[in-house]
Amino acid sequence: MAEQKLGNPAVVGLAGFGLTTMVLQFHNVGWMGIGPVIWLGLVFGGLAQMIAGLQEMKTGNNFGYCAFTAYGCFWIALALILIGNHFNIYVSSKTDIGWFLVVWTLFTAILWVGSMRISGALALTFTLLLIGFVLLDLAHFGYPGLTVVAGYELMLCALSAWYIMAHLIFADVFGRDVLPVGKAWI
Amino acid sequence: MLLLRNCALALLFATFGGVATAADDDSATPEEAITKVWSAARFLQDKGVSGFAALNSKDGPWVWKDSYVFAFDCRLDRMVAHPMRPDLVGRPIMQITDNNGKYIFKELCKAGSQRAGGWVEYMWTRPGAGAVSRKLSYTMTAEIAFSTGIRVAAGVYNDTYSIAELTELTAKMADPEKYPAH
Repeated sequence: MAEQKLGNPAVVGLAGFGLTTMVLQFHNVGWMGIGPVIWLGLVFGGLAQMIAGLQEMKTGNNFGYCAFTAYGCFWIALALILIGNHFNIYVSSKTDIGWFLVVWTLFTAILWVGSMRISGALALTFTLLLIGFVLLDLAHFGYPGLTVVAGYELMLCALSAWYIMAHLIFADVFGRDVLPVGKAWI
Repeated sequence: MLLLRNCALALLFATFGGVATAADDDSATPEEAITKVWSAARFLQDKGVSGFAALNSKDGPWVWKDSYVFAFDCRLDRMVAHPMRPDLVGRPIMQITDNNGKYIFKELCKAGSQRAGGWVEYMWTRPGAGAVSRKLSYTMTAEIAFSTGIRVAAGVYNDTYSIAELTELTAKMADPEKYPAH
């Protein structure tokens, strides 16, 4: 009996991560309001990415298991923080959100090291993500102008996540690697 | 309640010969406008967008004498809080001009983007009055997470103050040590 072909959960994880990151940056640079960010953050960046992350467990991929599940939780938590702030429930000040971003920066720094052992494209995605988090941290602690800089920088991060997603999907549908992800950095 | 407090204040000034002239007791002073704008910016930094509801209330601390704090979003081009003009809340603001054709909110957005905030002069209806008066408003950025364009402002209705004079007053209040009293 032929083995049943399984999909790679990473394609959904990267899709949700990239798309929701992108839409938040559209907001951060001032092109749009916060509404779609919240709903996409709950559904795609949050729920879908988190489920993809949990599915990574069965593939034996600890990096994907941790990263997708955690960033899925990040989006759900961020959306709930913003909803809470709107409805005056456990209100988070700008400084509170700054510290929330700081812990995610530290967490990202750990995964960033791991990403450098996986592929060039993933290492680039995590480098851009880490820089983006640092810029957002600074934006919340005295340099609000950096929000816009972080916005454009993180759009590149979202694009590189989509690149890896496209690499996986195209390799599957074309039967060959059309978008190479490059050698690991370390 | 407000009237009662104003009466009490008037009595106080009458008794102790306060600095303010009797005619000015009902008018907001530039010092008050600056203090209110600073407190409102701090308030929004702590409360985030949930603070807009309080700024939209006529009964809160953000409405006093003949003035009030209002808030607007310069990036998304809309009013977010205005206790006197709820009809403006949520509406675009950049196209609003005064009787002299001045784009009020374009000027306010420009002034508010300076680090210490800034003053803008325009014509606006004083609460309770029929005609428009000369209004000088002080505005600055309110730092809210993931909302970079929010400004808060409050103004005084006055025919004589100059922008330069009010800017100097603001600098003095921000850093009293730089400007000794004598």
